[in-house]
Amino acid sequence: METGFLRVLFDPGHFFESRMRDEPSLKVPALIALVVGLIGAISAALVANLIVGILPAEAQAFGVIVVGFSVAGAVIGGFLTWIVYGIVFYLISMVFKGEGSFARTLEVTGYGFLPQVFGGIVGAFFSYLIVSNLTIPAAGSPEEIAAVTENLTGMLVTDPLAQVAALAGILFLVWSANIWIFGMKYARNLSTRDAALTVGIPVGLYILYTLITLAGWL
Amino acid sequence: MKPLYLVIVSLVCAVAAVAGPASAGPADITVTSSSIDPPVLMKGDTGMLTVTIQNNGADPVSIKSARLFGSGVVALSDSYPSVGEIGAGNAKTFTFTVRADAGEGTFYPMFVLDFVNAGSLRYPVPVQVEDTPLSISVIRKPDAFAEGRTADITIRVANPRPNAASGVQVVPQGTGFSVTPSSAFIGALSADGSGTAVFNLTPAAETTAAFQVVWRNGINTHTADLVLPIPFGEDKRQADPLITNVEVRPEAGGYRIVGDVMNAGLESARSVLVTPGAPATPIDPFRVYVVGTLDPDDASPFEVTLRADASATEVPIIVEYRDDDGNRYTTTTMVGVGGALAAPPDEGDGGIPLAGIIVVALVALGVAGAIYYSWRRK
Repeated sequence: METGFLRVLFDPGHFFESRMRDEPSLKVPALIALVVGLIGAISAALVANLIVGILPAEAQAFGVIVVGFSVAGAVIGGFLTWIVYGIVFYLISMVFKGEGSFARTLEVTGYGFLPQVFGGIVGAFFSYLIVSNLTIPAAGSPEEIAAVTENLTGMLVTDPLAQVAALAGILFLVWSANIWIFGMKYARNLSTRDAALTVGIPVGLYILYTLITLAGWL
Repeated sequence: MKPLYLVIVSLVCAVAAVAGPASAGPADITVTSSSIDPPVLMKGDTGMLTVTIQNNGADPVSIKSARLFGSGVVALSDSYPSVGEIGAGNAKTFTFTVRADAGEGTFYPMFVLDFVNAGSLRYPVPVQVEDTPLSISVIRKPDAFAEGRTADITIRVANPRPNAASGVQVVPQGTGFSVTPSSAFIGALSADGSGTAVFNLTPAAETTAAFQVVWRNGINTHTADLVLPIPFGEDKRQADPLITNVEVRPEAGGYRIVGDVMNAGLESARSVLVTPGAPATPIDPFRVYVVGTLDPDDASPFEVTLRADASATEVPIIVEYRDDDGNRYTTTTMVGVGGALAAPPDEGDGGIPLAGIIVVALVALGVAGAIYYSWRRK
């Protein structure tokens, strides 16, 4: 099944095995991180636009700036997440005496981000459903803005649709982790067990944190 | 001629001596007593007048008839047309039915005995007529009446008449209410005596209740009425639940409103329930909050969950309670939700919607398939 880099979704072993024959290239991984960031920016823009609605009429001019910062933050966040995962994987793999460049680790980490594109799309869809059913009352004072914003935050966290989106996000993260296991195996010359631990420990902790948050224990 | 005169005089004396003891005079007959039942009549009353005579002489007296006549108090019964002879030292009683036809006052119908040997005895019998009825008054009733709320009403019946009244009872009359007991029996009331009757009256509408006192004066039945208006009003002592310390918390699917409900009245509020009212829709888990009994000055926290339109700025919170008689009351307090976020309606009762579960299941299947495929291709 030769479908370019999309092959990493279903056949990451053979995909990364073939990638190891070439020099590390971050173009496609960076593109994937950008797409993930842009999709995330859609969700961020929806929520930011909602919050802008709280502001009084005379402060609506700041709304564009708020939305702009949210979009930029989401795009930058996509890249940051990619790099942070790469650094974490690289550092943990050092425990298992992994061999291979950081650039190669970043490359496989970026490819492993591909399922997050689908996760982002699902998340944006749910964000749209949540936000489209909300009506934000206008707030006239900073205290009211703070109160409404606090209510909004609490509701977005506890909304059943938000919980569904979070569960779906975990599933896509598991898919990414599966790809990262194959990637780290080849990128850092690890055994399958060591690669699984390298990826499984941070991802597992993140998933655990997310589930605890969803259950309301934090 | 002198001897002839002597004989005539002697004969006359002899006839007089023979005929004299056979017919004593009216001076020997006296009325020893008279009475009337009832002792004091009311206008229109019928009574029984009794006169007793006695022969105080040494010889029997022949009486032709006995009768009663007069104005104001008239005899209804016939006279005694032939009484006959009453022996020495004997007594005889005559009874007449009389009726008070005039107004108040003391009347003297005349009792007349006609003797056989001419002459008669006339004796005026005093009969008192007084038209004062029994008095009736309300000595206890609630400050205000309310629809369906049972009120205790105490009626006092007093007898200002100079004689006793018998068979006294109080009968409530009217429409638009129910009352128990349907009548109250007090019995005999002596002169200047009084008695009470208690009624539980439950009005269904603003109306007028009449309490009729029925009593007998002798054999004569009389009535007196007391009219009691029953207007509806606010009871100054009734329970008064108030909602305070309200906090509105938006959550997924609606709002959670918490606060305190306090009884600011002087009577207990029983079976107190707190629930959201229309147009808000109660939702789980607190569609209704059961507070129970709230004594005066007591407070209790409550918590309700509801769904409202996104455009709603206020929602009604209804406090429902009952009084000691089980009558239901409601008070409504508007609670502002304008400063809070209107939550989106969700499917079901706040859990994860079915569509979301399906999406997660599909994603899980897809991811599981991709992972399985990737490891099989290894």
